[in-house]
Amino acid sequence: MTPKSNLVIGVIAALVVAGSWHIGAEPGEFVDGLPNLWLVAEDAVQEISEVDSRMIDAAFWSMLETILMAFIGTMVGYALAFPMSLLASRNLTGRWVYVPMRGILAAVRTFPSIMWALLFVIMVGPGPFAGILAITMYTLGFVAKLQYEAIETIDADPMDAASSIGLSKLQMIRFVVIPESASHLLGQLLYMFDYNVRQTSILGLVGAGGIGFYIMNYIKFLQYGKAAFFMLVVLITVLIIDWVSLKLRDRYVIKSQRGVAAMNDL
Amino acid sequence: MDGNDGGPSGTIIRMDNVWASYDARHTTLRDISLSVKSGINYAIVGLSGSGKSTLLKLMNGMMVPSRGTVLVEDLRPDQRDGRFRAMMSRIGYIPQSLGLVRNSSVLDNVMMGALPRMKRMQYLLKRYDKEDLEEARRVLDRVGLTDKEDRKAYMLSGGEKRRVAIARAFMQDPRILLADEIVSELDGTTSQEIMNLVAGMQKDTGLTAIMIHHDIRLALKFADRVAVMQEGRKVMELGVDNDTILDFQTGNTTTQEILEMYDDPEE
Repeated sequence: MTPKSNLVIGVIAALVVAGSWHIGAEPGEFVDGLPNLWLVAEDAVQEISEVDSRMIDAAFWSMLETILMAFIGTMVGYALAFPMSLLASRNLTGRWVYVPMRGILAAVRTFPSIMWALLFVIMVGPGPFAGILAITMYTLGFVAKLQYEAIETIDADPMDAASSIGLSKLQMIRFVVIPESASHLLGQLLYMFDYNVRQTSILGLVGAGGIGFYIMNYIKFLQYGKAAFFMLVVLITVLIIDWVSLKLRDRYVIKSQRGVAAMNDL
Repeated sequence: MDGNDGGPSGTIIRMDNVWASYDARHTTLRDISLSVKSGINYAIVGLSGSGKSTLLKLMNGMMVPSRGTVLVEDLRPDQRDGRFRAMMSRIGYIPQSLGLVRNSSVLDNVMMGALPRMKRMQYLLKRYDKEDLEEARRVLDRVGLTDKEDRKAYMLSGGEKRRVAIARAFMQDPRILLADEIVSELDGTTSQEIMNLVAGMQKDTGLTAIMIHHDIRLALKFADRVAVMQEGRKVMELGVDNDTILDFQTGNTTTQEILEMYDDPEE
């Protein structure tokens, strides 16, 4: 450890302490609050033990709505992002195209999904459509950056070979860019869907549909046990989606990357 | 300029007092003049760093000279020039790295050579014409990859990858083939096979081949002319004439000792 890195660690630690003091974070309150968690847990166990079919119904359909919103938003956002990320890649376009394109994408990225949701609730009214629009915009900003970074890591050799044949940009995209980045692009799509299911679960807090609507309302009426039941449904769903995307990733993404590794061994 | 038409006996590539550099401080090529007759096999040898690859890049417009003129079929190679871009579809270029698309099939890699003559929807959907498919299979057959068209490029051996790159170039129906050390790092038999393959195709199509080699003896065996590069200059231009090796720059015969100077120390 060099003196310089000691100093950096010291400064960061001082900032954490000073910042906590400034916003009034009190570790004692956390300890005092622990019994409240116990109350919620007790309430939740009680509620889950006597859950009725009406609640299971509501949880099932609102979770399904959440997954559909996440699915539609992810796919549409991803599809819109792809042409924009091509324009934002430094190895495909000139400075006059990629700089403004990156600016637009960075601006889209500054909004978290809940802010987009608020905006679209105002625009199209409360409901799942506002949520879908929010997820679409969030996905667009986020995934386009991942996409153009993946496209920029493509080996220059096949690109050079393609341009020396006299291929057009579109031909190069179809025959070099897409095949060479496909495994990254698929991995990003899975990651994004996975992430968006979690995000969509809370969009109901601002009235943009999905299971979050129930969670918010139960909390508002102090029915923590019922809220906990819905949160448990989200947790289980996310675990299942995680597991499925892991399997898909193993099958399609890792395999083709192993192929690249085998190529490097030669 | 001698005003030739680039026909069978004419000059197809000409360089006059060409200088080139990648940056302002280092000059890669110094005062190169050469002329390549149409239909011949022209080899370039020299140690690494002697400027061989740069010579090829000047011929397909990936680089432009800082001084002097390069003419390929009476056009100055420049990828930004529309007329030259149209010609590039008939110049096969095989870089040392081969430039294959690793995650694409052998067939798709080979088809890249035919893309400039395809319609947009055809290549976007990869709906190849019957004629293009027949041509690709003929070329694959010729390079010995008959039943491997569906293999992904990354699954192939080093020799097979070179065959794919050659097939891609031949799919262009090329008038000129530029190849950068495509037989180095291969065992003797395989490199002979690949050189025979190029020679055979050259005989059939009458194309002009400019090939960089690691091994001066291999170059003398297959090429009509061998340019020897040293530190950015062309120091000799050799050819075999009745079992003696002649330097056409000076008219002198060349001895074994000189050949040994350019032998790769690693081999």
